[in-house]
Amino acid sequence: MVLNKSTYLYITIFAVVVGSMLAMQFRTASSQDLPLPFDRVQELTIEKKQLEKDVTQLQKEVADLEAKLEEAMESHAGAAGALESELYKIKLYAGLLPLVGPGVEVTLDNTPGAELGYGENAGYIIRDEDLLKVLNDLRGAGAEAIAINGQRILATSQVRLAGNHINVNLTRLSPPYKIIAIGNPGALKSSLEIKGGLAEYLTEQGALVNVEAKEQIRVPAYDGSLRPEYARPTQK
Amino acid sequence: MWLGLWLTIIGIAVGVLIGLNMPVVLPHAYAKYFSVAALAALDSVFGGLRAAMEEHFDNTIFITGFFSNALLAAGLAFVGERLGIDLYLAAVVAFGVRLFQNIAIIRRHLLKK
Repeated sequence: MVLNKSTYLYITIFAVVVGSMLAMQFRTASSQDLPLPFDRVQELTIEKKQLEKDVTQLQKEVADLEAKLEEAMESHAGAAGALESELYKIKLYAGLLPLVGPGVEVTLDNTPGAELGYGENAGYIIRDEDLLKVLNDLRGAGAEAIAINGQRILATSQVRLAGNHINVNLTRLSPPYKIIAIGNPGALKSSLEIKGGLAEYLTEQGALVNVEAKEQIRVPAYDGSLRPEYARPTQK
Repeated sequence: MWLGLWLTIIGIAVGVLIGLNMPVVLPHAYAKYFSVAALAALDSVFGGLRAAMEEHFDNTIFITGFFSNALLAAGLAFVGERLGIDLYLAAVVAFGVRLFQNIAIIRRHLLKK
């Protein structure tokens, strides 16, 4: 048997090549955590496509919902605006907002020194009825907001004699009484100063009455508490 | 005779050492083709060894067989994957059977004396 050296040389060289191929293949296979079989790849590709489709669908849905949300926000803002303006209007009518406008300022005072005197000629002391009559006349002439000595007159305000004082909104007032009212100044003024009217009557009685029309009157807001304790709204 | 076998085994071992220390890592996409090609090449080497023992070794046949077998096996795997058929199995079976046959014949030659 002849040992041809070149034969074995070639075989050895190619054995080295094969060995390196095997080693590289081994390294490639082990460098991947999970060498995936072909059908698995196909499966995952199909799944990926499906998921991509889902993603597009969901993105569309997101856009749709965002548009809806925006719409809802807009209508919500509109509703909030309407509620706010309604609330403002109600506050305005209820006397919870300070107001400004043209109107009259009525000053009523006792006859000077009347508190000290007694009897017939002692002078005149302003009573709660007088204030109520003034309020009534002003309201009749279209007054929109009235306050007496800084006390805003509400629908629930009382004007009562309490000893030597007059209580308005449970606050003790003392003369001189300054009644301010927003409304048409001419109408308000004339309703009091009409011939045979309240101003004339009170002046005759000895009280000091002064009615003054003003371009700009500031009526304060009601600052007491509002708490219905007994009343409950009913269903219509 | 034994020298040839030892040379082959030592050559493969040296190749494995070289391959393990090479900085190149094959892309995973080619791993399948490369594995079939490596099997074909392994078969070629043992075929060459057998031919050497039977004393009809031809350099040209050996070298062309080495490359054509490897490329054919890899090509089969590639085409099979494109067609959706596991054609690489054919290469694996063919070269696997031949590998066993070659090694069996080499064993007989070695034991015959």
